[in-house]
Amino acid sequence: MRKNIRSGLSLLLAGTMTAGMLTGCGDSGQSSANGDNPQAVDSAVDGQTDENTAGNENAAAADGEGQDNAAQPSGEAVTVTAWHDNDEVMMNALADVVNEKLAGENITLRFEKKSDVTGQIRLYGTDAANGPDMYLFAHDSLGGFAEMGILEPVGNLISAEKEADLLPMTIEAASYKGEQYLMPVYYETLLFMYNKALWQGDVPATTEELYEYMVANTDVNAGTYALVNQHSNAYNVAPFINGFGGYIIDQDANPGLNIQATKDAISYNKKFADLQADGDYNTVTALFNEGHAAAIIGGPWLVSGIKEAGIDLGIKSLCDFTLPNGDVMTPYSGVQCLGVLKYAADNKKDAITKVLEVLAEPEVGITLAKEFNCAPANSRAYDDADVAANEMIFAMEQSAQKAVPMSNIPEMGVMWGPAEALLAAVNKSGEDVDAAADRYQEEALQAITDMQ
Amino acid sequence: MNHSKKKFTPWLYHLPAFILIGVIVLFPILYTGYISLTNMNLYHWQDYTLVGADNYVRALGKIDSGFLTALWNTVVWTVVNMVLDVGIAYILAVGLNVEGLRARRLYKTLIIFPWAMPAYVSILAWRVGMYNTEFGLLNKVLVALGFEKVDFLSRNIPAFLSCMVLNLWMSLPYMIVMFDGALQSIDRSMYESAVLDGAGAWQRNVYITIPSLRRVMAPVVIMTTFTTFKQFDIVYLLTMQKGSVSGSTLQTIITYAHQNAFVSNNYGLSSAVSVVIFVLIIIFSMWTNRAVKSEGGLV
Repeated sequence: MRKNIRSGLSLLLAGTMTAGMLTGCGDSGQSSANGDNPQAVDSAVDGQTDENTAGNENAAAADGEGQDNAAQPSGEAVTVTAWHDNDEVMMNALADVVNEKLAGENITLRFEKKSDVTGQIRLYGTDAANGPDMYLFAHDSLGGFAEMGILEPVGNLISAEKEADLLPMTIEAASYKGEQYLMPVYYETLLFMYNKALWQGDVPATTEELYEYMVANTDVNAGTYALVNQHSNAYNVAPFINGFGGYIIDQDANPGLNIQATKDAISYNKKFADLQADGDYNTVTALFNEGHAAAIIGGPWLVSGIKEAGIDLGIKSLCDFTLPNGDVMTPYSGVQCLGVLKYAADNKKDAITKVLEVLAEPEVGITLAKEFNCAPANSRAYDDADVAANEMIFAMEQSAQKAVPMSNIPEMGVMWGPAEALLAAVNKSGEDVDAAADRYQEEALQAITDMQ
Repeated sequence: MNHSKKKFTPWLYHLPAFILIGVIVLFPILYTGYISLTNMNLYHWQDYTLVGADNYVRALGKIDSGFLTALWNTVVWTVVNMVLDVGIAYILAVGLNVEGLRARRLYKTLIIFPWAMPAYVSILAWRVGMYNTEFGLLNKVLVALGFEKVDFLSRNIPAFLSCMVLNLWMSLPYMIVMFDGALQSIDRSMYESAVLDGAGAWQRNVYITIPSLRRVMAPVVIMTTFTTFKQFDIVYLLTMQKGSVSGSTLQTIITYAHQNAFVSNNYGLSSAVSVVIFVLIIIFSMWTNRAVKSEGGLV
């Protein structure tokens, strides 16, 4: 008798444990009823359980707040969620502007921070139950998502007149194969940022004068630098590469790591790299913020740390530096855009259209410009006196005239790795440029082949 | 009736565990195997189809493009780390058990500290706090002694050694604790007899301690060997993290698989590479088990 009780109890406990463990694998009732969760399996395979949990909460919110908005009576509250990996304070400020404008419509835009947003969108981009409605990221990831077929073209949701004030450069960046998929919000380029208290004299007009200044004012062993840069990061070396007429990848998906112009630019960058510490993001940022470096090549994302450090910041456009070949340094421009996932466009079309219409107006850009030094995608935002007077935005606007938009073809996604490895091989390991360029060109071609 | 009940009851008790193992371990492996037979990639994200063994042909074709070097690196990495790990842990554990040692508990507590830290934190702390050219302790010492700064992670051999030192720092505590526990289980009277027979410290170690430890430590050493063999995070985070590539081209088979397959978003090909590596690890596991069994180990 006692044995039977023990056995029964053991079975009960074991069963309860199994049920308890498997409960976490379940979803809110609706997703299973919908049966539209094909990527959930992928998530499990890739061990994304923590993000799944967050996604479930997100889905729960969506379930209760108008998942089938198109069929619902007007006036019901709708929450539009957007994933990002940006500064949370900035994203909340953006959401506040939108939510204030849409308060009467009962529509709420909510941002959720995720690490590796592009990876997450790949996993959840077809998962209506667990994925977001929108995401905010730089435009260079567009081609991959468009080819995957997970994005709804913005042109299907908002009329061209509403977008009339957006800068053409930003619209171009948000388009792929002739179709505008993304809504541009703001853009950024690299800038020459210097500590006015440490920089001696005027900032030079040529890169050769800049190099002479660096030689005279850098003591590597003492850890004091004239200028620091992420010298082995392709995005940060792009101003040299583009200025020399080279490229990382062209619009026909041909890598250009071993063309002569790119190699010349990499060789030229190396002499600067030798005077720029190890080029790691954390190292160069700390050197500048702690007053060990007089200048840094960076973007608006550094400003909050620089302000906290109490540095009197000076700004100059990189396009104001002339290279030895007579051309100017030409950075990449990156446009931060919102993309709409297809299932969200189906389920919440009206709400998302209204959100996009607000984003296309100048107010969002003005807020981001005033509070976070972002260069608005909306041209009318520059009519605001404070925006027009902002030194950093002015410099980015100047740069944007000549900057090269990052390529948004799918192959761009696999180019960053080989390009960075090439730069590190030359700058850090002292490899011969020609040999390294040939090797990483091969690697890039292989990576592109592997995509198919 | 009673016989069949007895026969099935153990299976019933095991059923929950089997279900869990099936869902958590078996299903992902089988699903990876299925995906490896499809053309699931960026261009066929939702409309992927079966393509047979195409991905395996491509995965095996990669063997001549660095895979063998990565495999060799992995073997050297595993052997060197394990020899040092076991050797150093043994010496320190024996030292901790020397009679009359003061503050023994304090040393044991301090020794376990690196093992208790999350790996990600340890690795980044070492990258910045030890190896960094500007803020790292090693370069601070070098500069103070009048030498030039050294970028420890920019070339393969120094990078290998740097990764190895960090790996030892992270894995030694576990090995020391295991050795320490095993040492406690040795009958002290054997040492007393040996001393009476005139055996010195070396002989006591060789003829009593090591043979007594072998059976107890075999599973620990095997488990640590696997952990070392499939090491990814130390090599990746120290030398090839996106945005902080150090310049060394050191690859293990796992970093090689990551770099060559997963960045391409070709899930079919990535899965095929994963299955190939999985098979290699299974073969390695079977070979190790057989070697241990032939030595009369416990496993």
